[in-house]
Amino acid sequence: MTGPWAEALPWAIVLPLVGAALTPAVAVRHPRVSGFWAWGVLLVTAVLTAGLVSELVARGPFSYGLGGWAASYGIELRFDHFSAWVLPLVVLFVVIVPFSWRYLDHVMPDERRPPFYALLLLNAGGMIGFCVTGDLFNLFVFTEVVSLSSYALVAVGGRGLAAFAALKYLFIGAVSSLLMLFATAQLFVLSGSLNMADVSLRLGEIGGGTAVMVAFAAYAVSFMVKAAMFPVHVWLPDAHAIAPSPVSAVLSGMVVKVGIVGMLRIYQIYFGAEVLELGAFNLALVWLGAISIVMGAFFAIFQDDIKLMLAYSTISNIGYIVLGLGLASPYAVIGAAVHVFNHALIKATLFLAAGSIIHQTGFRTLSDLRGVARTMPQTSAAMAIGAVSIVGLPPTAGFVCKWYIALGAFEANQAPFGFALVFGALFIFIYYIRMLNAFYFQPPVHASVAQASETPWSMRGPVVLLASLCLILGVLGGIPLTFVEPAVLDLLPFWGQ
Amino acid sequence: MQPFGLDLDYVAVVALFCVGLYMLVAKSNLLKKLLGLNVMETSVFAFIVTAGMVEGGDPPIMVAGTSAPYASPIPHAMVLTGIVVAVSVTAVALALIVQIHAHFGTIEIDELKELP
Repeated sequence: MTGPWAEALPWAIVLPLVGAALTPAVAVRHPRVSGFWAWGVLLVTAVLTAGLVSELVARGPFSYGLGGWAASYGIELRFDHFSAWVLPLVVLFVVIVPFSWRYLDHVMPDERRPPFYALLLLNAGGMIGFCVTGDLFNLFVFTEVVSLSSYALVAVGGRGLAAFAALKYLFIGAVSSLLMLFATAQLFVLSGSLNMADVSLRLGEIGGGTAVMVAFAAYAVSFMVKAAMFPVHVWLPDAHAIAPSPVSAVLSGMVVKVGIVGMLRIYQIYFGAEVLELGAFNLALVWLGAISIVMGAFFAIFQDDIKLMLAYSTISNIGYIVLGLGLASPYAVIGAAVHVFNHALIKATLFLAAGSIIHQTGFRTLSDLRGVARTMPQTSAAMAIGAVSIVGLPPTAGFVCKWYIALGAFEANQAPFGFALVFGALFIFIYYIRMLNAFYFQPPVHASVAQASETPWSMRGPVVLLASLCLILGVLGGIPLTFVEPAVLDLLPFWGQ
Repeated sequence: MQPFGLDLDYVAVVALFCVGLYMLVAKSNLLKKLLGLNVMETSVFAFIVTAGMVEGGDPPIMVAGTSAPYASPIPHAMVLTGIVVAVSVTAVALALIVQIHAHFGTIEIDELKELP
């Protein structure tokens, strides 16, 4: 039944985590080695996850019982279509790490590199674990691995302000993790099990009830905070803007998606049990998503700092994903699931390009960066492609999923939200036009901008690669769509209930 | 005891949770906020531990000489892990607070906000 790769499942988690623990030892004499070490570990992990996905494509979802204990007694790792998200995730890490080699020169002294790369590997390992675990308590532990490394990564580059942003992130994040632990305990008390499939079965036997709903609500709020949806987004802009650019790319592109993937996992449990009516909850998601889109875009328009602008744009895009989930029609949900990945790609492009520009010129506001496209044409072009992509214009990666979500809105007879989506895209368009206008059509005001040179190839390569991927996935957008379709269609019959 | 039809231990847990949340939200001192967070964590742990006691439950491992009441071992394992996580969170938060104090010379939120 299972192929050779199924046995490799735990290694995809163990490798980055052990790699993280070993980083300070490996780099004890030459701190700069840690960057290459982290890259090597991530490359091997990427090969492993590619093998896992090939196994999934060939034979369907598979499980691994940790320590030889059968599922429901031991901890089960389960690789299904939503877990396949780990492949693009690790690949993005593999692209981002080389960028950080030279970028970190300005951010931190050499001896602080090993802890930085150790945290980055921890973060990657935590997210892989989060996506593949089939155990509720394990899900909590991996959330905390991801969150803790993220708090530290925010603070790693700066001094006072970075620490303050990180602490704000920590307080809100810790409360959301607590809610998650509480919900896990609640489900355990109700069902006597922690295995997701098992809990789902037993909930079906118990039926509904207030306690089951309380657990669902606690999970929902917890993941909303992790995903930085509108009323609970306050931690995101500062934390993402102040972190070093490679970290911003990881946080904005991938760490916030922990909330979305977690939400899908909880849906799987509750849908299997058929104990909840989600109509009202979906409606709330749709509204919050629409508000997130408009609010995020609205605040982004008034930002002069490019990284702060990108951070607000993340709130907007999480809004798109949540709106798609709430609409609960096939097109919308598929579009949302694909946007989880496409947004990660686009945001990584934008943050790395913005990081390059800040790195070369020393400025980070639009008014200071006027005319930068003259001296950094390739990076600016990548930024422009990312901008067009995130607005959702064809032929870029952002178009495919936003088109699907909009189609889904009409399919679900929620046309006003379809228009909200288009309206939000217009807003987003305005602020990216502002940026492109400043970069391309205005004369430089600072000498350092006028005399800036392009970045070294270890930084330009990843940016150019990501930007071209944005274009390629716009043309080949059907591939990820067909991939998530079976997973989504399995769940859909219960979605709108 | 079940006043108002509620289990007393759950009422206590929720009360403790609210106390912690109040400290986290209302206090201006960052250290007191952190203490509030720890109180919240304790309340969730207490919830898990009390849930581990089931009246008339079977023992997980029977050794000669054991007698009722028995407690489920899984909640204990969960709480131990939870405590480890909580300690790590506290450690990171304290490190950040030390950094904030070194840089700004204060850990009061209202004073931090007034700084440029």
